[in-house]
Amino acid sequence: MDMTAPSGTTGGRRDAWSKRVLALTILVAGAFVMLLGQLWYLQVLEGSRFRDMSEKNRIRVRPVAAPRGILFDRNGLALVDNRPAFTLSLIPREMEDRNTVLARLSVMLKIPLAELTESLARVPADSLRPVRIRRDLSLEDVAKVEESKLDLPGVVVEVEPTRVYPTSTFAAHLLGYVREVSDEQMKGGRYRRGDMIGQTGLERLLDEHLRGRDGGERIEVDALGRPVQLMQREEPRPGAQVVTTVDRRIQEAAERAMAGRPGAVVVMDPRSGDVLALTSGPAYGLDTFAGNLDREAWARLIKDPTHPLLNRALQAQYPPGSVFKMIVVAAGLQEGTLNPMDRVYCNGTFDYGGRTWKDWKTGGHGHMDLRGAVMQSCDVFFYQYGLKIGPEAIARYARAFGLGAVTGIDLPGEKLGLVPSPAGRRERGRVWHSGETLNVAIGQGALLVTPLQVARMTAAIANGGILWKPRLIQRVERPDGTVAYTESSKMLEHVDLSPVIWAFLRSSMSGVVNEGGTGAAARIPGLEVAGKTGTAQTVANSKSEKGQDHAWFASFAPAKDPQVVVVVMVEGGGHGGSVAAPIARQIYQAIFLEKVAMAVLAGDGS
Amino acid sequence: MILRIDRRLLQNVDWPLIVSVMVLLSLSFISLWSLSTTGSIAWRQLSWVGVGTVALLVVIALDYRNLVRAAPFFYVVGLGLLLTVFVLGRTVSGARRWIHLGPFTFQPSELFKLIFVLTLAWALTSRWGRPLSRATLVWTGILVGVPFFLVVRQPDLGTALVLLPVLAAVFIGLGMRLKIFAGIILAGVALMPVFWLALKEYQRERLLVYIDPFRDPLGTAYNVIQAKIAIGSGQLLGKGVSGATQSRLAFLPERHTDFIFAVFAEMWGFAGCLVLIMAYGLLVLRGFEIAAGTREPQGRIVALGVTALFATQTLINLGMVTGLLPVVGIPLPFMSYGGSSMVVSLMALGLLLSVRMRQFQ
Repeated sequence: MDMTAPSGTTGGRRDAWSKRVLALTILVAGAFVMLLGQLWYLQVLEGSRFRDMSEKNRIRVRPVAAPRGILFDRNGLALVDNRPAFTLSLIPREMEDRNTVLARLSVMLKIPLAELTESLARVPADSLRPVRIRRDLSLEDVAKVEESKLDLPGVVVEVEPTRVYPTSTFAAHLLGYVREVSDEQMKGGRYRRGDMIGQTGLERLLDEHLRGRDGGERIEVDALGRPVQLMQREEPRPGAQVVTTVDRRIQEAAERAMAGRPGAVVVMDPRSGDVLALTSGPAYGLDTFAGNLDREAWARLIKDPTHPLLNRALQAQYPPGSVFKMIVVAAGLQEGTLNPMDRVYCNGTFDYGGRTWKDWKTGGHGHMDLRGAVMQSCDVFFYQYGLKIGPEAIARYARAFGLGAVTGIDLPGEKLGLVPSPAGRRERGRVWHSGETLNVAIGQGALLVTPLQVARMTAAIANGGILWKPRLIQRVERPDGTVAYTESSKMLEHVDLSPVIWAFLRSSMSGVVNEGGTGAAARIPGLEVAGKTGTAQTVANSKSEKGQDHAWFASFAPAKDPQVVVVVMVEGGGHGGSVAAPIARQIYQAIFLEKVAMAVLAGDGS
Repeated sequence: MILRIDRRLLQNVDWPLIVSVMVLLSLSFISLWSLSTTGSIAWRQLSWVGVGTVALLVVIALDYRNLVRAAPFFYVVGLGLLLTVFVLGRTVSGARRWIHLGPFTFQPSELFKLIFVLTLAWALTSRWGRPLSRATLVWTGILVGVPFFLVVRQPDLGTALVLLPVLAAVFIGLGMRLKIFAGIILAGVALMPVFWLALKEYQRERLLVYIDPFRDPLGTAYNVIQAKIAIGSGQLLGKGVSGATQSRLAFLPERHTDFIFAVFAEMWGFAGCLVLIMAYGLLVLRGFEIAAGTREPQGRIVALGVTALFATQTLINLGMVTGLLPVVGIPLPFMSYGGSSMVVSLMALGLLLSVRMRQFQ
């Protein structure tokens, strides 16, 4: 079917083409005439009005930062909040004599000139968007700038919301810090220069929700750049609020108890997997980043040999020491290679493989049954039964309890840990020395865990085998009250042991604390704490100086109805019983304050 | 074969076209020069004019009929380049339109405009394209639809919008019945909601802002308002280079590229604009005249397509800058700063000249 319009003869066809092209020409010519009409209207009829606007009325556009969403603890207390702060910005296009202005500013506020020029070098010289130079200016500095405003064209002080923390280092690793977007992060195209974004911890995880949306203002300014009139304001949309599982009271207690020592504390609810507190020391000041963009401080922090940025609760791995003996006991009992009635005479040494293996206690513990061996953490007992239970079974149970794998917590950079076994070693073409079995049986050797893994493992002992996904976030609520995200407790794995064995594990751990075991320092009248101490040598075969061992205490309470798991690890702290257990005790006292107080008043124990 | 120079070819060089483009290039140079203190942008643009002129001569020497014959090949290569953008492309303000070539970036969708015209000429004069039937429409639709989709996805709404009027002009020129043409337009309107869904968030926002400029006082509306102030304040005779505060104090966004007309209008006023519009008018009217006077079917479509391309780009850009149309990113041919656009525009001019020079062969 021919769709062309009828067009006479072949000769006439050329005419038809020309006619149609002529029609198009007229159409286009008409459009050009309309355009000229619009130009006549703009330039001649309305010209003087626009000329006026261009001379007097300069419209400046200024972004208005959205307040970041607030993080709450499980009881509705704020973990982090916002407060207004003064931000010093430069508008490149309005700095007529750039060098003079920068020099003045540099002297006035004691900001290195290089820092100013560097900040400006990253944006086009004619940009109208303010470049942030310093955040959280002191009132004194604000006054200085405002006073000499006329000499500082292009310099503006804006009020922006900034993070405020209960204390500088409070829950630093959990919350994470907020910092101006880096050049690298800008490449994705999601951020604008000067945006403050969460860089670690929950601030990073929830950044999309917390960030909100910036608003803006159209401001009329005079020839000197001074605001004359606010023309229009689009309100920023604040970020969403987050309800975490953290208990601010417990978090504070844990930090107070650690008193700045290097190490980590994890407090978890064994009934739900909720993380109630998570600390890592040494901590860094969160406000270092929110305030001034001081590069030197940042460099110092990165190069700090104590690695304050490292979240030791999940990004660092340590040998678990004797805490691991609970796994060995579980493996032996369930496999039938170990019996609660088994006895060993411990004289302080154990000869195996042409070498003498020492107990931690010189002279030994004497006659030991299984419960006693757990309570006194007798190494000789575990050397002997470790061999009987076998390294494969131990490794299998260790993995069943979640060691050697990530816990699935929603924080980045979680370490795997390491559970060595002869089979795994063979796969990688290496040999398992039988002596290693002895090392593993007491939680040493190649074995590596994170404090968070130990907390989850302890929670499994307390709750009868459930391995939770450690939960940090309960829900995210948008400013209008709708819920953007919720998370319920999630059981990831289940360890199957006979109920008698679970009961034995719990009761022997209670013995560690309450019946004169190694964890006696964690004993609290009125509260039955169950726990296991650990003293982990840093490197098995190094000349480990005294005090370099990592002190562990993995515990839960009340022993009969576990509600809280507390795991304490003090890096290089020394003995678990004398260093870590008292810290756990302090934390329990804070958690069960009322209960403990009532018990004391009632004169129950002393 | 390629470089055989026929005396008649040289006799038929079309001076009105060349003069109008030379005028536009000079105006572009002056505008870019007055925008920067060092003039480096103007010089860089001039070097692109040099590159483009060489490309133009090559296009003329190759004979448009050879190029149309090779159109399927160009089409495949062009599609390949558009796809490459998704893999290697560099993101500029949320859109992937550029490919890195050493120190240069190159925008395949610009080049595709030319390939599009050549492909149309090839398809509509091929065995399968005549007479213009329903089947032709369907498969031309597919031929056009695929790259159109890719360009929209980049997302480069501007280039996509330019291709449609070019297609329409060629169809009208070939004598498609108005009823059918109207039907297609109606179908297009009916498909608008689908199109709306395919748009990126920021593109929707732009269209909404056109309806209600104060939806976004910080972004697009700001651009339009500032452009209007710049143009209007030029008044009858302009403010000159030094008085052009809107442009020089950078109230005007994207003033080297899409909004360069506003710079020119502020500096030279209505009088200057009249010269500029006349240059574009001369270019386009002369293009149509060449198309009308061509008898060879492929030459007709090439000449008409290229002219429609110039007319569409010019009108959409000027309409956008003067506030008559929504803001879509389309450069002003021969004026806006940008290598790809300049070289491609000059190559398009080459095609038009080439058709004109071979009209009487």
